[in-house]
Amino acid sequence: MRLETRHWIFAGLFLLIGVTLVSGIKLDLPVSPDTQRMYDLIEKLPDGSVLLVSFDHEASSLPEIQPIARALLRHGFEHKLRLVGLALMAEGTAIGYRLMCETAEEFDAEYGTDYVFLGFRPQYIAAILSMGESIKATFPEDYLGRPYDSLALMRPLGNYSDVAGVLSIADGSFTTHWMEYGGRYKLKVLAGVTAAMVTTYDPYLASGQMQAMVSGLRGAAEYETLIDRIGGGARGMLAQTSAHLYVILLVILGNVSYFLKRRRAN
Amino acid sequence: MDIGTAVAGLLTLAILTFLYRDNPIYKMAESLLIGVSIGYVLVITWSSTLMSLLFTPLLTDGRVWLIVPLLFGLMMFGRFHKRTLFLSRFPIGVMIGSGAGIAIPVMLEQRTLKQMTATVMPLVTESGWPDLSALVVLLGVLTTLCYFYFSREHKGAFGIAARIGTWFLMIFFGTTFGYMVMSRMSTFIGRMEFLLTDFFQLTG
Repeated sequence: MRLETRHWIFAGLFLLIGVTLVSGIKLDLPVSPDTQRMYDLIEKLPDGSVLLVSFDHEASSLPEIQPIARALLRHGFEHKLRLVGLALMAEGTAIGYRLMCETAEEFDAEYGTDYVFLGFRPQYIAAILSMGESIKATFPEDYLGRPYDSLALMRPLGNYSDVAGVLSIADGSFTTHWMEYGGRYKLKVLAGVTAAMVTTYDPYLASGQMQAMVSGLRGAAEYETLIDRIGGGARGMLAQTSAHLYVILLVILGNVSYFLKRRRAN
Repeated sequence: MDIGTAVAGLLTLAILTFLYRDNPIYKMAESLLIGVSIGYVLVITWSSTLMSLLFTPLLTDGRVWLIVPLLFGLMMFGRFHKRTLFLSRFPIGVMIGSGAGIAIPVMLEQRTLKQMTATVMPLVTESGWPDLSALVVLLGVLTTLCYFYFSREHKGAFGIAARIGTWFLMIFFGTTFGYMVMSRMSTFIGRMEFLLTDFFQLTG
């Protein structure tokens, strides 16, 4: 068994994250204006407003997406919003359904009245445009195969004009499609996205095409602070900060080592 | 510990063995992931799309016009043989034509016009002071556009502007890379939390 430098780097990261997670120390985080904006927007929605929640992500991003989605769903249920889940990516279907059901259970929300999960539709552009005309025609039945009209929450919903907006939980560019194609129907778009997507969506936030965005583990932690419920975001923040410091330290060490070697060679 | 947590924990550990080096345990977990993902997509597409939107309405509700998309779908399989290849061109033509028709005006409006509008902001605040962020946005947009203008040699004042544009681009790439590292770390932390809390049950 031959260990190389990278193995020691990985071992250091494992140890660091393991110790910080086991320590259970919570960081006191200031809330960023973007996260506050999302909170305020949801707070301003009247009780009983219908919010579409689209799970537009793959299973691989679940560790980062789950704390964001859970914090936003908790706020939604707590604020008595009626949530309609769906997925534009097949892998988001089962994850979205599980997350909605688990969170609904915490608030004694009832399926069919307080929340519904419609399931997956392929061809996202067609699905978004089609829902703008008729949600019922796009999803004649829910994820569990129950007819649209048998669900009390869905019966009065015709199209986007009957919903407060869509919350896209995404790890890729799907939120862009909600803004672009849903924008034709004046659909308000909120987003919970992975940190990797922040630079993609910032211009849309600045232009007002997106109403609010919560991003990454940090965004989840901030949101958990706002709704006063500790979750995966807050638990992971010390580990996240330590890991970043570790990476910065490695970058500095790498550069120092490179310049020392170059000087010796000269 | 339930069976789902045990399987997820073991597969997470199997994937992490790649950090030492490529090995059969990692390959098995990777193949399993690909297989399960494809199988899941197939099942969900069959049940929630083909059955729910095509076969049930066509065969049970008697919506005969759904034969048209069914035929178009079947024509796509023409690509598997040289003699029937031409059949697939009809549905592809419809897809490209309708797709472009829908996308072009949307792209122009949402990606170009609205983004351009957001770039044009008042350069002076209400109190009469220059708006620094608006100035930076304007400078960034103009100099980056200069960098991507290749019909003129990047020399003199134009060259300086293009060079400033590259700095803006570098800052963008650096920020994007930083966020990417942050995102990957979050994913790793999430898995570590799962392993420590649910699988090894070391934390509460």
